[in-house]
Amino acid sequence: MTDHAWAGDPMIHTPIRVTVIGGYLGAGKTTLVNHVLRSADERIAVIVNDFGDVNIDAELIESTDGGTISLTNGCICCSVVDGFTVALDTIRASSPRPERLVIEASGVAIPAHVAAYAYGPGLDLDGVITVVDAETIRRNARSEYVGDVIAHQNTATDLIVLNKVDLVDDDAIASLTAWLAEVTDAPVIPARDGRVDLSVLLGLDATDRTAVSTTPTDTSFTSRTERWHEPIDRTSFEQQIAAFPDAVVRAKGVVRFTDDPSTEAMVQVVGRRVSITAGGPWMREDSQLVIISLVEDEHTADVKADKADRPEDQVAGSTGSASVGSTGSIG
Amino acid sequence: MASNTIYPARRVITMNPGFPFAKAVAVRGGRVVGVGTVEELARFGDHTVDERFADKVILPGFIEAHTHVMAGGLWQFPYVGYFDRVDPDGKTWARSRTIDEVVDRLVEIESEMDDPTEPMIAWGLDPIYMPDERLVARHLDRVSEERPIFVFHASGHLATVNSAMMRRCEINERTPTPGVMKDDTGRPNGELQEPAAMGLATIALGKLMAAIGSDQAKWGYANEARNTGQTLVADLGTTPIHLDEQIAAWEAVVDDPSYPARVLLAGSPLFGGEQDPAKLAAAAIARHAANEHDKLRFGIIKLILDGSIQGFTARIGWPYYFDPPAGSPENGLWLLPPDAVADIVTTHHAAGLTVHCHCNGDQAAQVFIDAVETALERHPRWNHRHTVQHSQLTTTAQYRKMAALGMCANIFSNHIFHWGDQHRDITVGPERAARMNACATALREGVSISIHSDSPITPMGHLHTAWCAVNRRTASGEVLGPDERISVMEALTAITIGAAYQLNLDHEMGSIESGKLADFAILDDDPLVVDPLQLKDIGVWGTMVGGVAHQAAPRS
Repeated sequence: MTDHAWAGDPMIHTPIRVTVIGGYLGAGKTTLVNHVLRSADERIAVIVNDFGDVNIDAELIESTDGGTISLTNGCICCSVVDGFTVALDTIRASSPRPERLVIEASGVAIPAHVAAYAYGPGLDLDGVITVVDAETIRRNARSEYVGDVIAHQNTATDLIVLNKVDLVDDDAIASLTAWLAEVTDAPVIPARDGRVDLSVLLGLDATDRTAVSTTPTDTSFTSRTERWHEPIDRTSFEQQIAAFPDAVVRAKGVVRFTDDPSTEAMVQVVGRRVSITAGGPWMREDSQLVIISLVEDEHTADVKADKADRPEDQVAGSTGSASVGSTGSIG
Repeated sequence: MASNTIYPARRVITMNPGFPFAKAVAVRGGRVVGVGTVEELARFGDHTVDERFADKVILPGFIEAHTHVMAGGLWQFPYVGYFDRVDPDGKTWARSRTIDEVVDRLVEIESEMDDPTEPMIAWGLDPIYMPDERLVARHLDRVSEERPIFVFHASGHLATVNSAMMRRCEINERTPTPGVMKDDTGRPNGELQEPAAMGLATIALGKLMAAIGSDQAKWGYANEARNTGQTLVADLGTTPIHLDEQIAAWEAVVDDPSYPARVLLAGSPLFGGEQDPAKLAAAAIARHAANEHDKLRFGIIKLILDGSIQGFTARIGWPYYFDPPAGSPENGLWLLPPDAVADIVTTHHAAGLTVHCHCNGDQAAQVFIDAVETALERHPRWNHRHTVQHSQLTTTAQYRKMAALGMCANIFSNHIFHWGDQHRDITVGPERAARMNACATALREGVSISIHSDSPITPMGHLHTAWCAVNRRTASGEVLGPDERISVMEALTAITIGAAYQLNLDHEMGSIESGKLADFAILDDDPLVVDPLQLKDIGVWGTMVGGVAHQAAPRS
């Protein structure tokens, strides 16, 4: 995959892409953040609620300066103690400027409230990810105190990481997956210890990274690239994205539309979040879109089969192929 | 040996039930030598008689257990709230009841400002009282097209800015931040909701933060306390106590003999405070040991569990809100995960600290009460005095359990006047509004209480707060929940020894007794004699703090 678009726009001040990690107390947000920091091979900034919870390996810490910890792999970790505004200013001012920011929300945060900060100057929201504890989510969802919070976290999100699947049996996973499919439209990624490939979590370019392969992840993904030589119709493209099968967790690319063929259209899809923004002047050969899908196991496949009444779900059949060539159906 | 000063008074109301009234009080070295008649007190030895309070009524200095120092800082900016409000210098700022009145007030202020680029900040706007029209940038543009203007709402959650502010801070139709409210054409209308959106108005926020953290704020805070009879004010969690420079700034201010109040700084994980409970507890204990000062006190931890009732963000019990705005969530917001509260409370409890927890809604109160029960099971401890703060919807059953656990309540009685009509009609409905801020129930069930203003949310002034608890009159004049009214004596107890008790200061203050601190509220009239409806109108001469008299600023 020689995917220039995947590596981001070459403009000097590309906005920092922000991922918000939500989920109730104990779901494994901090574990997931630790996984991100350990796996990262590019400069990622992280804002956490509390340093005390982030057990960063001592040999990974380069320096600590008040509310900021610098890691040897270039990542920086800021606490939210002085407020989001201060933490965001610190990150924007740091050199070199990180391209990625992960914000760990508090266990009772409404994701949209935290995501609101991701629209500030020099920032752009990539997506909201809710981490769910496979062991306790059903009980918490029934709680008088936090049931409404859990419901909100499960719906106002782009991806769900179903964490701690190693702690429940297969029947429970099947039942949970079926339940989640009822309560949320977001794709569900099973995981243990928060280990999900960063290309899926943050949209990092898998081809440019090696570090992730050193951290085993439990769920397999497949990516394929679609290309079109001719400009394509915006409406039918948007319809096609809206009809992506549930297994599609991310897509990213640069597309040339018939209604504005001299401008790049930058496409970002995170779960159900679709963002199409104008980029620079069109200088490329082809439009292309990289699509990452979950390789479904038996449980999820069963559930999805029940829901698969849309003809577009046939696309899921292409998972497993590394790359699918240009399709004429969109252009 | 220093001489005693004997102050004869019209009456000394001691709030010591064993010796409730006296004709005079004798003071030496900042403490009360005794109360009695002048003749009795003369027998303590060398003395002078100071007649200046001979026609005044002397009470223990009022103790306000829930305020915020920013109350003193906001007065650096013009006030545009719905009710008349007196600033720390004694000046009454007339109410602004309509958008036109707000604009007129700001035009007046604007004409007195020199530098046309200097941002203007105003505060106190309460749109709940202006249901017909909302203040937007278009209105503020009438004040100035060039000067950036920022009007901070009373709730603290919203602000309205003018077009010049939006230009300066690049808030425009392309700004995607949620909370930047836009009109039908997609242009921002000037209203910024919640911190992420308000934070875009960077030049205003910087100015506001500087004002709140200034020495002037600390002075304004104590001057307002003095003007209304408070001798100790608790800054409940808005000063990061783990930071040496913050404590040094406070020490420098309170060391000035003319600084007219004692201040208690409660530690909190919010507002820049230490977030790790164990470290926060350690900081509070270290301050209590090393920095405890005659006029600067520690040892209290402040937590916040939920939001506000009028903002529909308090966590309230089923069936939740009465008639909330369309599209509102079913219930409010948690500021801490309920399942984390027991561990946090246990940490502070085991360290020997007293936890004061903001619980506006009854669901929040339940989580805190249950957390205290868990902490007590893990670490049995007597006399902890953990306190439900605000306690606005706490139920009878909850008060019973609080009594059993040894907990206190600090009840937000000022809400009855300021938002009682809205609570009855919109937020919780008539039945629950009638039992909001249930002082009578708390006392009947055996819970030690205080009452408070949460200044700057409502104005500091314990005679007004006592008036609210005694009369339960709303702004429209209705008596809301007459069965929850308490007697004047009960209200006076709440604002003196009741508040001292929940701050662990009752051995030093809260009543006028031999050996306690000479902290007095000095009043023009007798609260036990005047019509209870006149309680809030009693003139305050000023205070005495540690034997030093501080006269209230003349009213203008």
